[in-house]
Amino acid sequence: MNNEVQKNTSSLTKTKLWLDVLVFIAFLITMDPHTSGIAIHEWLSLAMIAAMTLHLLLSWDWIVEITSRFLGKLGGQNRINYILNWLLFIDGTLIMISGIMISEVALPLMGITLPMGFAWRRLHDMSANIGLILLGLHTALHWSWIVTTFNKYLLQPIVKLFSAKQKKDASI
Amino acid sequence: MKIVWRTLIILAVFIALSGLMVVAVNASSSTTTTAADGAPQLHADGDMGGRPERGERGGAGGSRWMFGLLKNVGVMAVLVTIIAWPKSVAKKKRKQAAISSTNSQP
Repeated sequence: MNNEVQKNTSSLTKTKLWLDVLVFIAFLITMDPHTSGIAIHEWLSLAMIAAMTLHLLLSWDWIVEITSRFLGKLGGQNRINYILNWLLFIDGTLIMISGIMISEVALPLMGITLPMGFAWRRLHDMSANIGLILLGLHTALHWSWIVTTFNKYLLQPIVKLFSAKQKKDASI
Repeated sequence: MKIVWRTLIILAVFIALSGLMVVAVNASSSTTTTAADGAPQLHADGDMGGRPERGERGGAGGSRWMFGLLKNVGVMAVLVTIIAWPKSVAKKKRKQAAISSTNSQP
């Protein structure tokens, strides 16, 4: 029973890690629409809504726990993390909605055309810049988790693989 | 079923926030973004990698791509260094202090 729980936690952590790596790469690509082109920028951003929903679903237990304890006794770092995550969610929503409002490729392809809004364009740029800073802070606050998980699920298996191969070679 | 409900909650919050933003922006932009002659004003784009203007399709050269990517990664790296590094140093110091205090006990 205990082993099963450990296995589930481990696979959940692995899923979280790979999802976060993918979201991070996608974020870097979408942050540079001059290079990727508008079509990739828009479709990748829309796909990120699904990825972010999955990210929130994987962290659901933490969200529920901290929400219920927020007004009571709660550590400083958890409180800061919670507030920062809400800011990131609000900013992400603003990036998405302003992006949809100025969409040139994705929405017209679906047959939806919205009037050009310069306020939305400005908001989109501003919220994207704030998003970069908020994501940097989010990464910084989770840095020890990132390092530990990377080490456990990526570096150590590679090192083990190489050492096993070396042992096999030596025995031959 | 649980996952469906949770997804619906996330999407409901997303839609509620979006609605608020649309109402707020439409209410404010109707008074601020038009010039005296009624033409829309285009603001300068002082950003860290803003979206290309309408009609500008992107696809810049390799050096620009590298610059944009490095700049964004750099901003995040600076933030991580500023926050995570002192935290890890403090943690190490705490650990060392705990070890030395247990060693010094008779």
